[in-house]
Amino acid sequence: MERHFEQELQKLKSRILKMGNLVADQIHNTMLALQTCDIELAAQVIRNDKIVDKLDVKIDKLCQRIFALQQPVATDLRMIMSSLKMNNDLERMGDHAVGIASRIESISEYPEILKELEMEELIRQTDVIVKDVINILNTWNTTFVRDIFAQASAIEALSQKITDKILEEMSQKREVIVVASALMIILTQMERIAGYSTNMAESVVFIVDGEMIKHAKPGSLFLNPDTEE
Amino acid sequence: MKDTKIVTKKLSFYYGEKMALNSVSVEMPEKQVTAFIGPSGCGKSTFLRTLNRMNDLIPNVKIEGEVLIDDLNIYDKKVDVVNLRKKIGMVFQKSNPFAKSIFENIAYGPKINGISDKKMLEEIVVTSLQRTAIWDEVKDRMNHSALGLSGGQQQRLCIARTLAVNPEIILMDEPASALDPISTAKIEELIFELKKNFTIVIVTHNMQQAARVSDLTAFFYLGELIEFGKTRKIFTTPDKKQTEDYITGRFG
Repeated sequence: MERHFEQELQKLKSRILKMGNLVADQIHNTMLALQTCDIELAAQVIRNDKIVDKLDVKIDKLCQRIFALQQPVATDLRMIMSSLKMNNDLERMGDHAVGIASRIESISEYPEILKELEMEELIRQTDVIVKDVINILNTWNTTFVRDIFAQASAIEALSQKITDKILEEMSQKREVIVVASALMIILTQMERIAGYSTNMAESVVFIVDGEMIKHAKPGSLFLNPDTEE
Repeated sequence: MKDTKIVTKKLSFYYGEKMALNSVSVEMPEKQVTAFIGPSGCGKSTFLRTLNRMNDLIPNVKIEGEVLIDDLNIYDKKVDVVNLRKKIGMVFQKSNPFAKSIFENIAYGPKINGISDKKMLEEIVVTSLQRTAIWDEVKDRMNHSALGLSGGQQQRLCIARTLAVNPEIILMDEPASALDPISTAKIEELIFELKKNFTIVIVTHNMQQAARVSDLTAFFYLGELIEFGKTRKIFTTPDKKQTEDYITGRFG
């Protein structure tokens, strides 16, 4: 006899995956809009955030209901705890997509600046890390979790490199200050998207392996810091 | 929204001078599970037993108000209590199979209701046992005594026996409190399946069980219905402080 609880868990899994795909689409479109300075596509991302927010609340309510009514333990408990957290991470990623999308118009006045700063690679990597982490969420295969950490580090390094370039540009050309400031914020938001992607990967590890790997020392992935209560 | 199956209107109940239920009005929907929770002596079992007139058997009791099932007052003088209890089956805390074979336990009700055709009886027995998900466990020993089954199996057999007379409502008074966790889980899953076809009312001491199995929850305290509503609401954001205190274990 199948547990009724199983149906609730399946519902939660499919909603989290739906949220993941929705946010991955939002970020993909944002990156595309940024790359091509497509203001209309950026406006669409901003409009679609409502859908993300709605699903966010729906998932929170489902988790609350499962906690209250089913008293989950072991894998089930980890699954629901992590779903709440991943839901929150995804919603924040969606917000960062909106943050980037809302600044595309101001950049569109100097589209050449993206080329000058060699932003294409960063845009591509941001799109890829999100797709990859959603793939991990879909398959629950933790083999590629390390890759997400490496990708996030690469994004951070690239972002820092571009930030340095922007600072240099700003010091030389006063007219780029407005665009450059917008770009600095965009870079921070791309880094945050990568950061949330690593959180998501950590959550999948917690569900599948029961290992709490967050705050692990760099280079010692899967080795827990001393987290005993 | 489902149709209403059971309605009580200002139902009060007295054991001698002592008031056990104080003007309880509630509407229970068809083909849903309604759970009654509350501390010992709160009146929840008394209330359950008013729904098929089981309290009639107790001397020196008094009832006021109405219990309507399908809009008919079951306390009306014209009501045939035997027929009423055919429509409203009951399962108790302690499984109570007859000291007969498994087959005879299930066939007993249909037989006294006049069914004598062997094939028809067999069909009823098999269907009832299948519906309670015990058929696979007992199909090879239908002529063995029901008393040889485990506690959990006996309880599912008793539920099957209830189903054999084709009731519309099943009342359950602590149906899993004497069972181990696995048997309890089986009973809970069974309740979830049965509500597709039956209206179920369950009394339970186990709040988590009420949370898991029911659609609606009624919280009783000192004979009063304190709060009644959707289980998901009661267990996440109850309206009354007394309910909150009880379900969070802060009672006292």
